[in-house]
Amino acid sequence: MSSPGSLGHSGQDHGGTGSVEPVPAVAFNNITKTFGAVTACDGVDLSVHRGRIHGVLGENGAGKSTLMKMLIGLVLPDSGSIAIDGTTQHIQSPLAAASLGIGMVHQHFSLVDALTVWENVALGEAGKLDPDAVRNRIGDIADQYGLMIDPDAQVGSLSAGLRQRVEIIKCLRRDPNIVIFDEPTSVLTPDESVQLFESLRHVVAAEGRAVVLVSHKLDEVLHATDDITIMRQGKVVDRLEAATADAPTLARGMVGREVSLRSERAALGVLDVSADPSDSAAKPSNPNDSAPVLRIQNATARGIGGVALLDDLSIELRAGEIVGVAGVEGNGQRELGDLLSSLLSLQSGTVSIDGVQVPDGKSGAMARAGIGVIPEDRHDSGIVLDMSLAENLVLVDQSAVARRGFIDGSALRDFAEKMIDEFAIQCSGPDAPMWSLSGGNQQRVVLARELSQQPKVLVAAQPTRGLDVGAIEYMGQRLEAAAEAGVAVLLISSELEEILDLAHRIVVMNSGRIVGEVDRADANLESLGLMMGGANA
Amino acid sequence: MGGLLEAIVDILSSESTYINGALFAAFLAFAASGELVAERAGTLNISVEAMLLTGAFTAAVGYHVTESFPLALLLGVVGGMIIAGVQAEMSHRLSADQFVVGLTLNILVLGLTGFLDNEIEPETKLAGRWDIPLLSDIPLVGQALFGQRWPFYLLYVLVPFTWWLLFRTRWGLEIRSVGENPQSADVSGIDVNKRRRQSIYYAGATSGLGGAFLIFGQIGLFEDSIVGGRGFIAIAAVIFGGWTLRGTIAGCIIFAGALSFRLSVQGLGYEVNSELLQSLPFLVTLIGMAIFAHRVRAPRALAQPFVRGLK
Repeated sequence: MSSPGSLGHSGQDHGGTGSVEPVPAVAFNNITKTFGAVTACDGVDLSVHRGRIHGVLGENGAGKSTLMKMLIGLVLPDSGSIAIDGTTQHIQSPLAAASLGIGMVHQHFSLVDALTVWENVALGEAGKLDPDAVRNRIGDIADQYGLMIDPDAQVGSLSAGLRQRVEIIKCLRRDPNIVIFDEPTSVLTPDESVQLFESLRHVVAAEGRAVVLVSHKLDEVLHATDDITIMRQGKVVDRLEAATADAPTLARGMVGREVSLRSERAALGVLDVSADPSDSAAKPSNPNDSAPVLRIQNATARGIGGVALLDDLSIELRAGEIVGVAGVEGNGQRELGDLLSSLLSLQSGTVSIDGVQVPDGKSGAMARAGIGVIPEDRHDSGIVLDMSLAENLVLVDQSAVARRGFIDGSALRDFAEKMIDEFAIQCSGPDAPMWSLSGGNQQRVVLARELSQQPKVLVAAQPTRGLDVGAIEYMGQRLEAAAEAGVAVLLISSELEEILDLAHRIVVMNSGRIVGEVDRADANLESLGLMMGGANA
Repeated sequence: MGGLLEAIVDILSSESTYINGALFAAFLAFAASGELVAERAGTLNISVEAMLLTGAFTAAVGYHVTESFPLALLLGVVGGMIIAGVQAEMSHRLSADQFVVGLTLNILVLGLTGFLDNEIEPETKLAGRWDIPLLSDIPLVGQALFGQRWPFYLLYVLVPFTWWLLFRTRWGLEIRSVGENPQSADVSGIDVNKRRRQSIYYAGATSGLGGAFLIFGQIGLFEDSIVGGRGFIAIAAVIFGGWTLRGTIAGCIIFAGALSFRLSVQGLGYEVNSELLQSLPFLVTLIGMAIFAHRVRAPRALAQPFVRGLK
């Protein structure tokens, strides 16, 4: 048995097979892959064995997803080799991976909304299309693993949990020997996650498959796996067994230093959220009873075909408080962000700032009324990658650096330098192209821009997505500082830990509606999970 | 006002309105069937115009050389597929912009066929008329639907075949998936750009057949103006029909109705400004699009080029 923390040795004497070293189901040998200047994987060795669940743990950008994409043929390694059951293979495409018995349960990418469950399951196979055979097979798998589903339901109409069920069935239908789960719980309620791990264990135990669980959540890796490999900056930094591992060791391995701050623990998913709320007692649950700064009343918006995007939604936000919007992704959080970015028009309902109604869906109106937004997808709507840092800082409002309609170059530089200083943005200077910055620094630019507008309301939509622990921590501090300075902060996040860490008050969204509201002090994971699943509080 | 109403009744009770309408609708439907498949695969193929014109031209030359209708029809299909080949390989293998390629092809083919037509001067004639017993005797619409020249009836096979292909075969399932969510299709092991190229080839084949039909089923000889922008009306029919086959055919019938109405107005001797009449079908198309285009759900990846790799 390998001792926890031993470096560089695979020490794979599992299941009492004595001195015989079993051939690993998957063996990565010295894999390296670079994308431009970024080294995603750097000499990675990793072995996965049959009948075991192997957790691959690491922060965003640690290289774990890239490694798995090589295994299913979406990315080719620059050097190194992959052996399946002891035989070296060049996996060129997902189809080749499937023929080797490798299946992957993807985070988002493999289902087609417009198709039915059985059509999705049949997608990517060969031979004559036989709907009844597919339906029967779905029924068999459903019985065998307890994954009940209606084969004729349209996938787009299913909840995230059920969609993932379809994804798992699709994967198991090909009877894979090796199953990869990529961040499987990111779209699930806590309850659904527990169910998932039960069926996961079943999948392994029943047929001796090898399972790889890729995750950035320490807690679930610790509880659901047998073996753990920790990756950091493209390298394997530690290999250990789950039975003998503990959270602090894993956290240290992931981040590369001791982790003590509460927000860091939250970012890693080890926050014991049911724990005593005295920690948050420092945050008054209701800073003041003054009139709300932002008031959304009975907002209703419908999409194509009359689907409710926002359904009679009302929220009030007071100065100085952070309100967390929790919920499983795709339940109207994006639309709420869009509404406050003037990107969405309402069928009915109103948005007002300090009691003055703001026209909805009118370009720029929300920003002029004093709403700053850190958008959900910064590459899509937060920044322009090919423009300079300084230009990105004044994208929303040039009045500070413009004279008579012309931009004053030196004023722009001064402003940019001030922001770089204030927000500690690491870059080569104001003229650095945006794409040359790391994700965390790009997000700082967005934050600097929005806060420099001195907004009354700051909407932070998934503000830490794709960032490393240090950047997550910084974002949390900034949001808290903004609230202390009197800004009303709306934190929209699918990371429950993040909301529990920062928010004074938590509202839960489901199907475009607010289904519950609790003070941080009264919040617990169980009741929040139930509400996220759609139960009324 | 009475005069206008009378004229409309007059036009609607004239058998020729329906015969012309059916011919126009058939021509659009040949092209639109294939275009529907291409758009369901996520490629907005605007070279239909070029495919129709090339198909008509190669069919005409084919008859000039072989004096065989079946061979000439086949050459029409080949002609359409040559244009499809350029469009497909350029935009879904070499990643050239699909609109630039399509636009260029439309203009190029117009000039090229005009030139070659003068050089070759292909001699063609109409195919034989088949009256389907009993059905062709139905009043008003019998002749229109069952008394046409025989290439017309190919459509009665093509439309159900297209439906079967798109909704009952694995190929069709894959076509629909690459138009909706190419990343998912790719991850599932489907070659997205290959399916898109194939869908354009199918559009080329049906449009080429449509061009051949125009020569042998309706007009009888080639001119470079015979398509006259109707390839774009076929595209509009697909959008109007909400990317369903039923809706697409309905769109073809409505737009063809406007074309036929225009012809009948003149044919029955009513005095209307002819330039204004010329624009009527396009006006109907625009209005139809304005009313219906935002109510329907387009294939989600329509007109978006696919590059491998996850975002």
